[in-house]
Amino acid sequence: MNAKIKETLLNPIFKGNPITVLVLGICSSLAVTVTLKGALVMSLSVIVVTGVSSLILSILRNTIPSRVRIIVQLVVVAMMVILVDQVLKSFEATYAIDKQLSVYIGLIITNCIVMGRIEAFALGNKPWPSTLDGIANGAGYGLILIVVAFFRELLGSGTLFGFDVLGRFGYVTNNLVILPPFALILLGCIVWLQRSIQKDLQEK
Amino acid sequence: MNTNSNVYTVIYTTVIVVVVAAVLALVSQSLKSRQDANERADTISQMLTAAGYGTKAEFGKMGNAAVLEKYASEIEEAFTIGTDGARKADLPEGKVFSPKELKALNYIIKDEEKAAEAELPVFIFKNGKTVVPIYGAGLWGPVWGYVSFENGTATFTGAYFDHESETAGLGAKIKDDPEFQARFVGKQADFGASERSSVFEIVKGGVSGESGAIDNKIDAITGATMTSKGLDEAIDTWLYAYRAYFNANAAPEEEPAEPMEEEPIAEEE
Repeated sequence: MNAKIKETLLNPIFKGNPITVLVLGICSSLAVTVTLKGALVMSLSVIVVTGVSSLILSILRNTIPSRVRIIVQLVVVAMMVILVDQVLKSFEATYAIDKQLSVYIGLIITNCIVMGRIEAFALGNKPWPSTLDGIANGAGYGLILIVVAFFRELLGSGTLFGFDVLGRFGYVTNNLVILPPFALILLGCIVWLQRSIQKDLQEK
Repeated sequence: MNTNSNVYTVIYTTVIVVVVAAVLALVSQSLKSRQDANERADTISQMLTAAGYGTKAEFGKMGNAAVLEKYASEIEEAFTIGTDGARKADLPEGKVFSPKELKALNYIIKDEEKAAEAELPVFIFKNGKTVVPIYGAGLWGPVWGYVSFENGTATFTGAYFDHESETAGLGAKIKDDPEFQARFVGKQADFGASERSSVFEIVKGGVSGESGAIDNKIDAITGATMTSKGLDEAIDTWLYAYRAYFNANAAPEEEPAEPMEEEPIAEEE
């Protein structure tokens, strides 16, 4: 494990986090963070999509005509998204969650992280580092999703992973937390926190 | 090799698209039966929930096989009726209606010219409950579900609703909030209503004062006006289509009239 691969893996988790630093994938992070279960499945789906599409496109990178490269990327990413959706629908355990996430699984294709990393990384690097980059960016996205979902499910429904946590203490659930604007407020707080720790991100 | 020539580009994109299409078609074909089985078990658990055999969460934990078994052992009969209330045909064993099939039926019953052709499903369970589906438009997408009645009456005994994309925490409560579904229990549908819209009412701002002879109003969901309205309309539309059946069955001694599909007068003349 050399330093470069370590950097590829760790950078997107914190220092170059796709949501808080690159501000990509905001829309879906507002939509699917009402419950932890949904956020977890969404994160895993994005990791699979970014990882595998980065791998495929990195293998193909020298053969793709540059004029239609975005279209080729789209076709591959769309294929992965449909595959993930189909697989989630096929298992008893994930069927209900897929139903709950409804259109957002399909909308992974519009998630800027996927296309952004392919364009910026996979088309210029060998397959192995590209796959790692894809997975790490998916994980960076997933980490934020899970943090946001933790607070939203806890304060909005009084539960964690569907188990009653605050309800037994007579907690009255907060409707604002369930609505998308609160996710934006939470994201703002996370960005604030990160920038106060990581001073080099602050703009002068 | 020149990867930027026109010929190369056209061939390359064609090959990519064909390969992707083939992969997707293959996967879709091989997973279809599993997906249909999941959808079917989901629909059945919705019907069982409406009929009062348990909660949706319990059925979710039971697993598909147990849900199907429960349904097979509890269903008394399942058949279709016309909007005139006459029985049309028995449903094949284990047949249920997917949201897609309900959508197709919804178009038929909303169309005044075609409504007479509709074949509306009725499910009668061994615990004496009649379960019928409803389907309509919510705020962002379709809403549908099942309501149950005590056999031979217009009194609700349960309801379960589902939706595609109502707002989480607001409109989604029609599905997630058992308290909302429980509001239906003991209420009645006005099958004698002259207008479709007054068969059942989901009222904004609370049910106030004394309702008429028929208690057919429940409180809407706070913050989900459009979903409540859509659900109200779905219930109205479907129950209005079923009114002849329920009216015929509510009268205790009367057997449902024999189907009179052909007009005998036409032949006599």
